[in-house]
Amino acid sequence: MIDFSLTLDYQLSPGWLAPWVNGILQGKTVARCCARCGQVSFAPQRICDCGETNGTWQTLSGAATILNVTEGVDGCFGMVCFDGADTRCIARLSGFDRPSERGQIIRPEGNLPTLILIPLQSEK
Amino acid sequence: MILVAGAALTHFNRRKDGSSFRDWVATAFEDAIAMACLERRDIDTLIVASESDFFTLQLNPASIIADDLGLVGAATMRVEGGGASGQLAVHAAVQAILTGTSRHAVVIGVDPSASQLPGQTVKTLYGFSFDAWTDGMTGATSTTLYALSVQGFMARTRANDLDLAEVTIQNRLNACDNPGAHLRLRNTVDDIEASPLISSPYRRLHCSPLSDGAAALVLSHPDAVPAARSKASRITGIGAASDRVHLGARAAPDRFEGKTLAMSRACAMASISPTDIGLAELYDAYAGAQLQGLEALGLCRNVIAELRDGRFRPDGSLPVNLSGGLMGQGAPVGATGVGQTATCALLLEGRYHPALQPANPPKYALADSHGGIATTNAVTILTAGVVR
Repeated sequence: MIDFSLTLDYQLSPGWLAPWVNGILQGKTVARCCARCGQVSFAPQRICDCGETNGTWQTLSGAATILNVTEGVDGCFGMVCFDGADTRCIARLSGFDRPSERGQIIRPEGNLPTLILIPLQSEK
Repeated sequence: MILVAGAALTHFNRRKDGSSFRDWVATAFEDAIAMACLERRDIDTLIVASESDFFTLQLNPASIIADDLGLVGAATMRVEGGGASGQLAVHAAVQAILTGTSRHAVVIGVDPSASQLPGQTVKTLYGFSFDAWTDGMTGATSTTLYALSVQGFMARTRANDLDLAEVTIQNRLNACDNPGAHLRLRNTVDDIEASPLISSPYRRLHCSPLSDGAAALVLSHPDAVPAARSKASRITGIGAASDRVHLGARAAPDRFEGKTLAMSRACAMASISPTDIGLAELYDAYAGAQLQGLEALGLCRNVIAELRDGRFRPDGSLPVNLSGGLMGQGAPVGATGVGQTATCALLLEGRYHPALQPANPPKYALADSHGGIATTNAVTILTAGVVR
């Protein structure tokens, strides 16, 4: 056998995803809004389902509805829909001791843009 | 149409014998070219399917494989589309022959997914089979995404844990009669329930294993095939289609709609309908994915009712994954799609493992693969060279 170790240290440029990535790193939900049909996508879609390429970035409240949950040794994750978004996304769920339908984004520890939801403290 | 002049698979398992993926490729190739009644010099094109350089630690694997197989001078390329890599490589070879640039093309599928890297490392890499920048950054695994998708499918179709168990048990039972299969197990419902919960509803036994192995095909133009192989199985339809990479961006995250589109394209090319298919090798990365695939491919009207009626068992009207599928036979990623097509060709010719070989093979068979969570879809329809 040949023992071979390879360590890779990437420096990933987020490119057009920068507003989304920077938002997650600050605990904010920055979504893409289509300039033609107004669809709000989060995670953002560079080209809308309607085919439009232009859009604007808008910050959502950060509260989300949890649609379904999976848990096990791989962790706890949910398919969620953020308030104000028209698409769903996958989020890591943290601190949900009992089933809950609502959550809110928090700022991740570390420097990875990890989308994490905790239980929503209170509805405004 | 294109003839499957040669088809071969190595064992799929976790190699512990000191052999390398280059050895497995050579074994599969030698068996396939012998079946094809051809010589190396007859081969003008080599197409290699391998999912990841991380597995082989080899960029441009087609170059070393061409050298190892004595095919220097042949046109070479590597095809990659996640779990669909092998099926897409088959398509690339078919297209090369149809466009007249090839007469005899060899397709090699290979990956050392089991023995060269720790399982946890492979699991991390598989997490980047989706959108590494978004879903991947959450730490969501392949199982996570498939689990979230199948939950919606189960709610809509009223499938239950026993239905997932039925697929698991049957595929592994089929594998017991496949001497080349990785997991030749007689699983029980209790075994499944006792296995670790990976990502609900999926437990470890609902998941396909990481495997090592290779598969090879020799595809030939009908005017060039040796007389001894003139009645070989034919590839009569290929179809591929993509879906949104984000599960959450899809209108129906519980449906594999890209697979439906790929199937419609393949059926149009073959001039058949999905209900003409008489046996299928499906991409069962997880137990529920097989059921979602059956539905999306249009192979049934009510997938759960037909599952419970035994339609997809070896003695049913539509045997599925006689090989054991990914769950039983194993999943060396690049080799899976090539292996599925090889398996279909051998079954249609009546040359498969005796205990699994239908006495009266059907006219049409389907090989189905996908990458991501049915994001990159590729299906191949085969037609028997001799209708019994």
